[in-house]
Amino acid sequence: MFILDISQNYNQVLRQAADLISAGSLVIFPSDTVYILAVDPTNQKAVDTLLSFKDRWVGKAISVAVSDVDMAKDYVQLSADTKNLYQNLFPGPFTIVSPGLHRLATGIEAENGTLGIRIPDSKYIHDLIKLLGKPITATSANLSGRTPNYSVATFLHPLSLKKKNLISLIVDAGKLPRNKPSTVIDAVGGEIKILRRGDLITSSSETLISKSESETGKIAQFLLDKAKRLGQNKPLIFSLSGDLGCGKTVFSRSVGKKLGITQKILSPTFVIYNQYPLSSSVYKTFYHFDLYRLDRESDFEEISFLKHFLPGTISCIEWPENMGKNLFQKIKKNSHLIAVNFTYLDPSTRQISFS
Amino acid sequence: MFILGIETSCDDTCAAVLKDSQILSNVISSQIDLHKAWGGVVPDIAKRAHQERINPVIETALKRAKLTIKDIDLIAVTKGPGLAIALGVGVKAAVSLAVKYHKKIVAVNHIEGHLMANFLTNSQGKPLRPFVFPSLTLTVSGGHTKIVLIKKIGDYEVIGETLDDAAGEALDKSAKLLGLGYPGGPVIERLSLKGDSTFLKLPTPIADKKILDYSFSGLKTAFYYQIKDWPKVKINKHLADLAASFQSAVFATLIRKFSLAVEKYHPACLMLSGGVAANLTLRTKMRHLAKTYKLPLYLPFKKELNTDNAAMIALAGFYQAKRGDYANPNILDIDSRAEL
Repeated sequence: MFILDISQNYNQVLRQAADLISAGSLVIFPSDTVYILAVDPTNQKAVDTLLSFKDRWVGKAISVAVSDVDMAKDYVQLSADTKNLYQNLFPGPFTIVSPGLHRLATGIEAENGTLGIRIPDSKYIHDLIKLLGKPITATSANLSGRTPNYSVATFLHPLSLKKKNLISLIVDAGKLPRNKPSTVIDAVGGEIKILRRGDLITSSSETLISKSESETGKIAQFLLDKAKRLGQNKPLIFSLSGDLGCGKTVFSRSVGKKLGITQKILSPTFVIYNQYPLSSSVYKTFYHFDLYRLDRESDFEEISFLKHFLPGTISCIEWPENMGKNLFQKIKKNSHLIAVNFTYLDPSTRQISFS
Repeated sequence: MFILGIETSCDDTCAAVLKDSQILSNVISSQIDLHKAWGGVVPDIAKRAHQERINPVIETALKRAKLTIKDIDLIAVTKGPGLAIALGVGVKAAVSLAVKYHKKIVAVNHIEGHLMANFLTNSQGKPLRPFVFPSLTLTVSGGHTKIVLIKKIGDYEVIGETLDDAAGEALDKSAKLLGLGYPGGPVIERLSLKGDSTFLKLPTPIADKKILDYSFSGLKTAFYYQIKDWPKVKINKHLADLAASFQSAVFATLIRKFSLAVEKYHPACLMLSGGVAANLTLRTKMRHLAKTYKLPLYLPFKKELNTDNAAMIALAGFYQAKRGDYANPNILDIDSRAEL
């Protein structure tokens, strides 16, 4: 067993990890959630090593990470509904369970023939899979029933020598942010069932559930990552609708924080909008609008509303309904706009839908 | 020293003239009939509105003080925080006067203006208030909710502030939920007088004793949730009770955190300022609190000194000039998110 630091010689480390996985070895690898146990899921010997490491009985599924929908199609049946889920939730901290096509080694699919697929929001994993040209296992790097690991040291500490000997390589990316393991969604029956709660809980392909400010924050981060992938040719806009007090400002604050803003981000109702410079090379400005006090079209002209939305800007707009249909359509046409809608399910639960 | 103050941080266009701390004139656009000056309806939040009002407002302020711009020794203008485009109009007007008439200029923080509002006096120099420091100020308005420890003039520490909405904003938004117009604060106050504040049980947010910050979003949520299924008729029937319940929850939060701050920082004097400080119920609660701790309480001596005005900016500017903290008119710019 040896440890390589991924921040040094990135390509070389990745190459080595890929070669070892191809050869049937077990590699510990960082993901967007926790450290994972990566082996080639088509190689029976490798999968057996993984199962004996995990102390896990055959029959309980091991999730598999792929690079995109096309690769997933080689291993699972995708219904139209599931494709929608993929479209909206991937890449992200989710595992989506579908009927398997039985092309993987025994012990990967569950006893009932289903398989959990992940498309992690992780450049490392994406690059690794590309290099391999096939999926890797993505089960969290812990023994069954133990807590997941965010650093190599906490992972190694309780391991017996016998277990350590099963590992060929550890790719060290330092301490990972404390994200929970992925949310496991069972979409086999057509209805969404949550098998394991991660950071983000979904109730359909376009809705996420928040039970606290910090969960709303995680959802904001997820949608920001998603929005960034839409491209930089147009301004990015989140239009945030919903009832009073349901988390629009919390959402905006989380987007701002994720963009590296360290100042306090407060409700801009009184001042209509706040502008924050960003230090990123791609995004220059974050605007936080609150249109609560505006209703006449002349108001929008007076603040030169449309002129703010240029490529390289990210905006959160609260009370977008106040701008009227015309203005909204205009903005939508010239931007990557994600409409986020907040509704109360009960006093402590919000449903956040996006499109 | 004659000071011309200019304030355009939000909706109102304001100018005032002071002789040291004495108010010679204090003009607020919404309170004077400037419509005739150009005719037609004035939009509220518009840059153009400020642009159209700024010169007549400054002229009126000078005229009421029986002075001309030549008599002015110092120009004090709000640099922020506030609405960027509105601030720009005031700063531009101040800079052009300063350059044209070779006047000294200071760029004032709007919040410091609110802190200073308690030391403004009338043209006879009344009320005479000694500076007593450290003093603890609660400044509450539609845009701000802060507890500020004043160690001395020019030395401030924000020890608590809102993490989401300002208190005035929360009141406005509750008014909207009840189907009342904007700004809703004064309507809520009026209705509350006739209402039963115990009608609706509402939480008082951030109960943690160690935290001096405010948060009103949870209160808004609770309020929304309790009345969301009510038919309009029922809401209208209990309008006063609902207003009173919400206002009372907001004020209870304000007072509770402020008391904690008093116990933690042991100030020698208490002050209240900002638009919401015009609310008589809040003033009564603050008087009661001051009595409990046996501390003097300063409130602006006139109602219009609570809300945004240029007299407070002029006074803050007066002390800023005493500290030698002048601005260079050639590079003076707004700072829409200026921190105290």
